[in-house]
Amino acid sequence: MTQDALQIIAYCCEHCAYAAADLAGGLRIQYPPSVRVVMLPCTGKMDVLLALKAFEDGADGIMTAG
Amino acid sequence: MEYLQSLLKEIGLEPERARMFNLSAAMAGKFVEAAKEMTEKVTELGPNPLKSKMKDER
Amino acid sequence: MIVAEQKSLEEIKKLVGNAKKVLVAGCGTCVTVCFAGGSREAAIVSAELRMSTKLAGDPKEVADVTVQRQCEWEYLDEIAEQVQGVDVVLSLGCGVGVQAIAEHFPNVWVVPGLNTKFMGLPTEQGVWAERCAACGDCILGLTGGICPIARCSKSLLNGPCGGSLDGHCEINAEVPCGWQLIYDRLKSMGKLEVLMEIQAPKNWRTSRDGGPRKIVREDLRLVSEEK
Repeated sequence: MTQDALQIIAYCCEHCAYAAADLAGGLRIQYPPSVRVVMLPCTGKMDVLLALKAFEDGADGIMTAG
Repeated sequence: MEYLQSLLKEIGLEPERARMFNLSAAMAGKFVEAAKEMTEKVTELGPNPLKSKMKDER
Repeated sequence: MIVAEQKSLEEIKKLVGNAKKVLVAGCGTCVTVCFAGGSREAAIVSAELRMSTKLAGDPKEVADVTVQRQCEWEYLDEIAEQVQGVDVVLSLGCGVGVQAIAEHFPNVWVVPGLNTKFMGLPTEQGVWAERCAACGDCILGLTGGICPIARCSKSLLNGPCGGSLDGHCEINAEVPCGWQLIYDRLKSMGKLEVLMEIQAPKNWRTSRDGGPRKIVREDLRLVSEEK
């Protein structure tokens, strides 16, 4: 299985990690396409149910960043 | 995060599939690093076993 | 509140057995506030069951629903249809909730997802402690509002036993001596004289020793009018 086919959901805080991901884009720093960013208003919104739902729907991994 | 990992273990998934990273808005480099680290780890673990079961159903 | 703890997923899977359709029923009262069986826990257990049974090659159809209180028929009526349509109901209510479902739906197979522990309160976030043993004849008025039945390991009525050491119980140094708590409280309230009265042996017939208990309030009953 190639890295491209993997799905890793990155739950990012709007104010820090999401901005960091944005900045990475702005700076043209490459990161693996397997990581899909989902914006949360705050990492405090991150929930076990959200992660379980992601895994149930076939996500290969999840990361919370903030 | 620990609770989620204990749940994954109970379900039969690798707890390493979930991880938390701490970073600030200015840490583009660290975000990329985290994304790479996570991709490496998950590549090592292989795809979510639930996915292949889903295909079986189709 | 009634305090309960969730059973392990392994035990829950055993209880569910080879049923194909499962309904996880949460309860919105006591077990919600002790984080054991509310709507959130019901959704988590249901996702866990779906994923783990799928991984094991025996996928089950698992849904979840939560009612305000499982221990009242009126609330159970709301989920009657869902309950009838499954092979097993996994109740995340306390022991009363599980039995209410069994009693209200005679043709439904119901299994417990929780272990009901005690009646108590949260003393700090994430910690619950027993406070009432439902002895049926309250004596808190004699002990300054600290229960010797629930808080003393031996349920003594006239002071501590010889095992009370530096305010701790002999069964475990982490358990405070109930009678030390009572003494300290009465002393700080200036009411130590309350302890001079010797308590006669308690009548335990009002407790579980008298068999299953029941309260009938004729003034509240509807049947008396129908007769």
